[in-house]
Amino acid sequence: MAFASKSPWVIHYDASSCNGCDIEVLAALCPGFDVERFGIINTGNPKHADIFLVTGSVNERNIDVVKEIYNQMVEPKVVIACGICACTGGIFHDCYNVIGGVDKAIPVDVYAPGCAVRPEAIIDAVVQGVAILDEKSKALAEAKKGA
Amino acid sequence: MTVKTEYLITTIDAVPSMAKRRKEDGWRFVQLLAVNTEEGIDLIYSFMKDGVLQNNKVEHVAKTDSVPSITDEFLAAFVFENEVHDLFGVDIRNIAIDFGGNFYALAQSEPMTIISPAQKAAREKARQAAIAKAERAKKAAAANAAYVVDHPGAKPAPKSDGVLIKPSADGVEEKLRGIDPEKVARLRAAMAAKARKAAAANADYEETHPTANPVQPKQESNISDELEEKLKGMDPEKAEKVRAAMARKAAKEAAAQNDTAKEGE
Amino acid sequence: MGKATVIPFGPQHPVLPEPLHLDLVVEDEKVIEAIPQIGFVHRGLEKLVETRDYNQFIYVAERICGICAFGHSMGYAETVERLMGVEIPKRAEYLRVIWHELSRIHSHILWMGLAADAFGFESLFMHCWRLRERVLDIFEKTTGGRVIFSVVKVGGVVRDIDEAQFAEIKRVLEGIKHDYNQLCKAFLKDTSVKNRTVGVGYISEEEARALSMVGPFARASNVNNDSRCLGNGGYADLADFQPIMDTQGDCYARVKVRALEVLQSMDIITEMIDKIPDGDIAVPVKGSPVDGAEASNVVEQPRGECYYYARGNGTKYLERMRMRTPTSQNLAGMTKALAGCDLADVNMIVLTIDPCISCTER
Repeated sequence: MAFASKSPWVIHYDASSCNGCDIEVLAALCPGFDVERFGIINTGNPKHADIFLVTGSVNERNIDVVKEIYNQMVEPKVVIACGICACTGGIFHDCYNVIGGVDKAIPVDVYAPGCAVRPEAIIDAVVQGVAILDEKSKALAEAKKGA
Repeated sequence: MTVKTEYLITTIDAVPSMAKRRKEDGWRFVQLLAVNTEEGIDLIYSFMKDGVLQNNKVEHVAKTDSVPSITDEFLAAFVFENEVHDLFGVDIRNIAIDFGGNFYALAQSEPMTIISPAQKAAREKARQAAIAKAERAKKAAAANAAYVVDHPGAKPAPKSDGVLIKPSADGVEEKLRGIDPEKVARLRAAMAAKARKAAAANADYEETHPTANPVQPKQESNISDELEEKLKGMDPEKAEKVRAAMARKAAKEAAAQNDTAKEGE
Repeated sequence: MGKATVIPFGPQHPVLPEPLHLDLVVEDEKVIEAIPQIGFVHRGLEKLVETRDYNQFIYVAERICGICAFGHSMGYAETVERLMGVEIPKRAEYLRVIWHELSRIHSHILWMGLAADAFGFESLFMHCWRLRERVLDIFEKTTGGRVIFSVVKVGGVVRDIDEAQFAEIKRVLEGIKHDYNQLCKAFLKDTSVKNRTVGVGYISEEEARALSMVGPFARASNVNNDSRCLGNGGYADLADFQPIMDTQGDCYARVKVRALEVLQSMDIITEMIDKIPDGDIAVPVKGSPVDGAEASNVVEQPRGECYYYARGNGTKYLERMRMRTPTSQNLAGMTKALAGCDLADVNMIVLTIDPCISCTER
C-alpha cells in the first residue's frame, strides 16, 4: 500500500527553461486546474518531495544542479519532464550551451511534450507518474521484505 | 511614427571620453552589444535621451585590443561587458564587478565567434551568387545602353521581375536566365507540378468522357504515339502516373539543357 | 560584533520561479552585500540566427521568455520590418498593441501572485492566478495558445480578431476590473503587507538614474524611461498616455505602480478596440535585408524597456540579432537594493524587480 501516491508532493525546478512551462506548472497548482485537490503540494525541499517536475533544456551550469536535486530526493521518486525542451531540447536542441533534454542528466519516467505544456497534459503526466510511484514503492517494499 | 535612431562611429580610445560626455549631458545608458564580423568585432554602445536612441559603433576590434570599461560612469554596464568578454573574447579592462570569464558557464569558449564549416560554405555560396547577379545586371545594363544608342526611338522594355505568366516552354527560358539559381529551381518545380496537374486533369477528363478525343497538352509532349495508344487502354490512374513521370522527365531534360547552356556562358 | 557568513540563495528556491544564484554576505540577519551569479538559463539562442532565416527566427524570439513572449515577437518583428523598410497596415499595429497590453495585464497579475507568495500570502497568490486564467482564456480564444501565441510575423499579424471577440474582450475586462480592484485593496491596504514592504529596498531617484534602471522598478523611484511615450507603432495613436510614477522608491511603491499599470492597460485596450480601423492584417514581405543594413528599436515590455538590434548581410539569414532585456539592465539596481536589507526581505526585493532571468540570459 503506497502512501505517497495518495498525496504525492511535488518539487519543481526550472532547468534553463523559457518560463512558459514553469508558469503552466504553477497554473496547474492554482485554482484554475487545481491539482491540490489530489493532495499535491508544491514544496521547496527535495527531501519532502516524491515527484520532480523539471522544465527546460538543461544547460552547462544546470547539469550539476539537476543531478544534485535528484540525488537529494528520497526513494521512491519519479521524474516528469514537462515541455518539449525537457524531453528533447525543443527548439533549442542545436544551441551551443544546451545538452538537449533532461534525460541526458537524470533518468526520466514520464515525458509530457508541448510548448508550452498545457496544464491538462501536466495533470495527465502526474497521474501516470503516480502510478509509476506506486510500482516503485511496491518494489521497494518487496526488496526490504526480502533483505 | 517610430523612435528616432542615429548611428555614430567612434574608436576604442574615444570610449572613456564618450562615456563621460554622455553622463554629463544626461544621456541614459541603454546597452552594449558586439557583432562578430570577418574583420574583427564591432562594439555598439547605445544611449538614449529625449526620445533619441544613439548607437556608437567601435569597428573592428581585434583580439589583441583592450577596451576600457565604462562601469566608472555607468555601473549597469558590467553585465554587458562580462557577457561580451565571455561570448566574443573581447578583452575589457577594469570592469567594476568582474566575473573573470565565469559569468556564463559555457560549453565552448567564445561561442559567438565560432562559425561552423556548413555556415562558412553557405555564406561563400551566397557571396558568389551575389557577385554573379551583379555581373549579370551590369551586362544587361550595358547591353540595354548599347541598344538605346543604336535605336534612338526605342521605348524602354517593361521590367521583367521573373514571375512566370504562362507555362509555355518558349520565352520561359529567357526569363529564367535572369533570376538567381534558388528561385530558378523553385520555378522549375512549380512548372513540373503544373504539368503533372494538367496530365491528371487530362486523365480524369478521359475517364468521364471515354469517347472524346484526347486533348493535346499545351506543352511539347514527350509521349510518343504508340505510348499514347497504350495509355488509352490502361487503367486511368496508371495512365495518369505514367503521364506525370513523362512530364517530370521532360522538365528535368529542359533543366539539364539549360544548365549545360549556363556552364557554357 | 558578528561574523560575516555567506549564505547561498538559489538556484533552486521555492519562491523563485527561475534559477538565480545570489551569494548573500550576511552579518547577524542583515545582508551586507549580495553578489549575483547568473548563467543558469543561458542557451545561446542569438547564435540561432545563423541556422534559422528571419521568418523562422520569430519562433525562437518568442521562446526567449514565456511571460514576455508576445513582447519579444512584436519587438523582433518591428525591428526586422525597420531593417527591410516594410510598413505594416494600421490594423496590424493596433492588434499588436491590444495583445501586448493583454500580455502586460497577465504578466503583472502573475507577478503580484508571486510577490505575495514571496512573503507567505499564499491565498492571494491563488486568487491572482485564478483571475489571470480569464486573461489566458482571451488569449486562447483569439490566438490559440495560452502562453506562447505565435501570432506575429514579419509584415503584420497572422490572425484577426472579429467584432464578436472584441465585444467579449471588453466584457471580460469589465469583469476582471471589478475583481481586480478587490484584490488590490486586499494587497495594498493590508497592514501586514505594508509592514513587510514599506521602507524595504529603498532606491532614491539619483541612484536610479545613475544605475540606468528601467521599467516599473525605475518608475517607482520617479524615473521615467517608458518607451510607450516614444510612440512606436500603435502607441502613437493613444489619446493621452501618462506613465504611472511614484516617488517613494521602496517595495510598496513598486507594487503600487504595477497594480495601477494593470488598470491603465485595460483602459488602453478599450481605447484601441474602439479606434481600430478596418483593413489588411499583413503585407507580404519578400527578399532579404541588404548587406550592412542596421536597425534598432525599443519596446516597453512589462518589465521595462527592451532594446533590439538587427544587422543584415544580404542573405535571408540575419547577420546579428540582439535583444537586450530590461532585467539585465536592472541587475545593478537589484544588487544595490539588496545591500543593507534584512535576510527575510531578500525574497521580496528580488521579486519586486520582477526578474526574468531567461530574458536576461537568452
